[in-house]
Amino acid sequence: MFYRLSGTFHTNYQADRKLWKIPADRWLVLTVFALAVLAPFLVSPLYLGSYVLPWIIWSAAALSLTLLMGMAGQLHFGFAAVMAIGAYSSIHLVRAGVPFEIALLLSGIIAAVIGAVFGAAALRVKGLYLVMATLAMQYLVDWVVVNVPWISGGAHATLRTPAVSFLFMDISSLASRYWLALAWAALITVFYLNVKRTSFGRSLVAIRDKDFAAAVIGVDPFKTKLMAFFTSSFLGGVSGAILAFCYYRAVTPEQFGFNVSIQLVAMVLVGGLGSVIGSYLGAGFVLLAPIFLTNLIAGLAASGWVPVSQNFLSHLPLVIYGAMIIGFLLFEPLGLAKIYDNIRKYFLVWPFRHARS
Amino acid sequence: MQPEPSIIDAVVNADALHPNWKREDHILARLAKNAAEHPNQIAMRERDRGIWQEYSWTDYLNAVLEFAAGLEARGVQPGDVVLVIGDNRPNLYFGMLGAACLRAIPSPAYPDAPTEEVAAQMAREDIRFAIAEDQEQVDKLLEVREGYPSLELIIYDDPRGLAGSEPEGVTGFNTIRAEGAERLFAEPGLADDLLARPSVHDVAVLMHSSGTTGAPKGIPLKHGHVLSGVRNAAAAGYFHEGEVHMAYLPIAWVGDFIFSIGAAMELRFTVNIPEAQETAMHDLREIAPTLYFASPRAWSAMLTRVQVGIAETTGIKRRLYEYFMPKAMAAERAKLDGKPGRGGLNRWLGEILIYGPLRDQLGLGRVKRAYTAGEAIGEDVFLWFRALGLNLRQFYGQTENCALAVAQKPEDISLTTVGRPFPGVEMKIDEHGEILLKGDNIFDGYFQNEKATAETLVDGWLMTGDAGQIEPDGQLVVLGRVSEVIEKADGTRFIPTYIENRLKFSPYIKDAAVVGKGRDMLIAIVCVDFQAVGQWAQEHGVAYTSYAELSQQPRIYDLIEAQIAEVNAHLPHGLSVARFVNLHKEFDPDDGEVTRTRKLKRNVIDDRYGPIIEALNAGQDQIDFKAQIVYENGQTGSLDRALRLADVKEAA
Repeated sequence: MFYRLSGTFHTNYQADRKLWKIPADRWLVLTVFALAVLAPFLVSPLYLGSYVLPWIIWSAAALSLTLLMGMAGQLHFGFAAVMAIGAYSSIHLVRAGVPFEIALLLSGIIAAVIGAVFGAAALRVKGLYLVMATLAMQYLVDWVVVNVPWISGGAHATLRTPAVSFLFMDISSLASRYWLALAWAALITVFYLNVKRTSFGRSLVAIRDKDFAAAVIGVDPFKTKLMAFFTSSFLGGVSGAILAFCYYRAVTPEQFGFNVSIQLVAMVLVGGLGSVIGSYLGAGFVLLAPIFLTNLIAGLAASGWVPVSQNFLSHLPLVIYGAMIIGFLLFEPLGLAKIYDNIRKYFLVWPFRHARS
Repeated sequence: MQPEPSIIDAVVNADALHPNWKREDHILARLAKNAAEHPNQIAMRERDRGIWQEYSWTDYLNAVLEFAAGLEARGVQPGDVVLVIGDNRPNLYFGMLGAACLRAIPSPAYPDAPTEEVAAQMAREDIRFAIAEDQEQVDKLLEVREGYPSLELIIYDDPRGLAGSEPEGVTGFNTIRAEGAERLFAEPGLADDLLARPSVHDVAVLMHSSGTTGAPKGIPLKHGHVLSGVRNAAAAGYFHEGEVHMAYLPIAWVGDFIFSIGAAMELRFTVNIPEAQETAMHDLREIAPTLYFASPRAWSAMLTRVQVGIAETTGIKRRLYEYFMPKAMAAERAKLDGKPGRGGLNRWLGEILIYGPLRDQLGLGRVKRAYTAGEAIGEDVFLWFRALGLNLRQFYGQTENCALAVAQKPEDISLTTVGRPFPGVEMKIDEHGEILLKGDNIFDGYFQNEKATAETLVDGWLMTGDAGQIEPDGQLVVLGRVSEVIEKADGTRFIPTYIENRLKFSPYIKDAAVVGKGRDMLIAIVCVDFQAVGQWAQEHGVAYTSYAELSQQPRIYDLIEAQIAEVNAHLPHGLSVARFVNLHKEFDPDDGEVTRTRKLKRNVIDDRYGPIIEALNAGQDQIDFKAQIVYENGQTGSLDRALRLADVKEAA
């Protein structure tokens, strides 16, 4: 109904490989992007700061993780630790006088190097054992951050981010921090969309599908897995730094705990493994659904619609939230992205059932 | 051959024949003008391996001139006939114009024509040069050459399987072009000289009658005929400048030459060529033309495709279709009856939900001018496409008048009439009820066939051979062929095509032949539509493995009987189809039952299916029929088939 394909033709193969070939998709992407850019003018500062901004940053983090989990098929249950490395490195680098732009890059590289070292375990172990290895990384990094005062300033210390500017623009205001985060998310998105079309992206997919089969067709598993951990950790580290500077502005070790890693995995799984739109939807769902459910239940309870004890009432949103995750994964194991894809295809072939030759 | 009259005589005669034509106003001059005025505009696109290769007007002119120069060096003389055989390909179009540039005459042939037909055409027209699309056509021509040694040169377009290992006397199109390019480089005045050679009085193309009765007749169309026809049509708003056009119909059909070359040159069309016949519908959607012509059969096939798709679609989509489509059909029907309805909210919603998406799915999203011609179109098909928001119109014409004679205006749409003559075309009905036409787009006589010319052209009037009448408001109604009026044993007159067309309006009937000359009853030989009936059988649990088996299922007989009974209800008394048989195969041009343009060859059908016709008339319930089969390699065999014969109840 919305998708009009007639008149879309290509005169060279470059054009035939465009990302959004259908005009309706292009308009959708442009509209969403324009709305995202204009969000500071459309949304109240409260909502921008507490909903939209974290959503964007966590989407970027989920995208970083889905490169590893969705595309290369390597499970990672310690991604919050990678982000912690990025966050702490960037703060210390800026404090040491390194310009913010360079500090972002360096913090990414530090996270990438450390992440790749732990990722090296993936060369030996797979599946659940890899989960164990990455969990070990989570706890090791946690321990180091908490117990080395030089990094965290002490177990219960809070490390404030210094005031910085990005490309000569002050980023102390909420809107400017939002735009920086948005720019980073957009950059990762474009990177991710394109990496799928490169030989690197295809070797990641080959490794995911079967690593020794990939080796047979000439993809080096050692190199590819290391590069997957390196790239993903680099993006995760920068996302951590962005999270620290644009959202938290004061970091403590608990912000990067084990439960955060689990939340990130949930975002990637609920959204749909390896999908860009899934990362956004998954992050939105994991982040915002509990808040909305809490507000909804509280509203219903206030008007007397939910006759349960006050004690149970506080847990009810979590119960529903858990049921929703299970429900989504039962209904569509490929995640929210697949649900979106189904809806899109439903309209793409409108009014027929499937595409016609 | 006739003795050549002196050249001066010829010029004087030609000028006297067509005083309105200017000598230098020919198709190649239009090409040169387009290339000079719009050098970088896209003139042609061809889909090749998934992407569209573009040719600007400059590329087009260069290709034509280089090929012409190369062809001349190979010995083509003015007046030579050059065979062009293959699917629509840019190089074949360039080749036709290149030949016309040398005042030679391109003579296109259908790519699926068997070797004997091609050989006969070459012998009749004394052809020494041929342009073939690919290895398949080259092989065919090589076979012809064994019995026809005067074939000097075969030029191929597609190098696959040929390049580097050409048999003697076979050369690539690009080789000829390269030779021509060298000549053009060496002789700076040659290009202008080549463009100055043709005249408006030269034959631009040699078309052929379909050969429904006997051997095909050559129909030479001059530059002037083609351009007059196109200009008349443009004056009536039939074509606009800069249309996007899809060249998917066979190049041997007059309409393709008129649309893809004549009108394209005169009005700067962008001509788009699909990758293959099989991908034509897909490629159509990619290009989304502004002008679209299809035969009633093709429109009907498109409708069937949609109906099959809707039948298997999901709930909401189907309900929306079933709500909005009949509404729009009813509105169109009211419009036909002269009661224009309001658009309103329903039309607007339907446009968003159903009509627009369907047009888009079919690739007709941008079509401003949609046409059909050739035979009568079914009321349901016609109304359905008009309901979809396409301004589908009918026109009427023959090869002899460049296919452009009479057409409906946007405001006088009707199912029965085909419209009014174009400006510049005169029309009258003679005392026998035959339609006569006169104008600058009418040809000057058949190719080397004085007798047929004398029968067809009388005092400058073209005897179309079609029976027709002019309505009080000046619109033409075409009834059928004059020669097709047939009498039953009791003297009742009927035109079989008329009944057959009405039968074919049923989605389940693909082809039908009505037989009843000198007999007591009318009987029908029916070829069911495999797609639609197959779908019906699946939905109703009728098992089948092949076309033959499907056609003989009792429940399919019931289905077809109901369709025929419905047609009978709308036919005059005494003209009902009383009995019918479902044939075990479709009519096939390779078996000679229909022409390549799918017109019935009645004598072949009477002859081949004589036993079935007799059995139907004798009232038998079944017949063991010895079916003759022609294999692809030309061998014949036979197969015994038990065919069911059925009555149509309540046939009067």
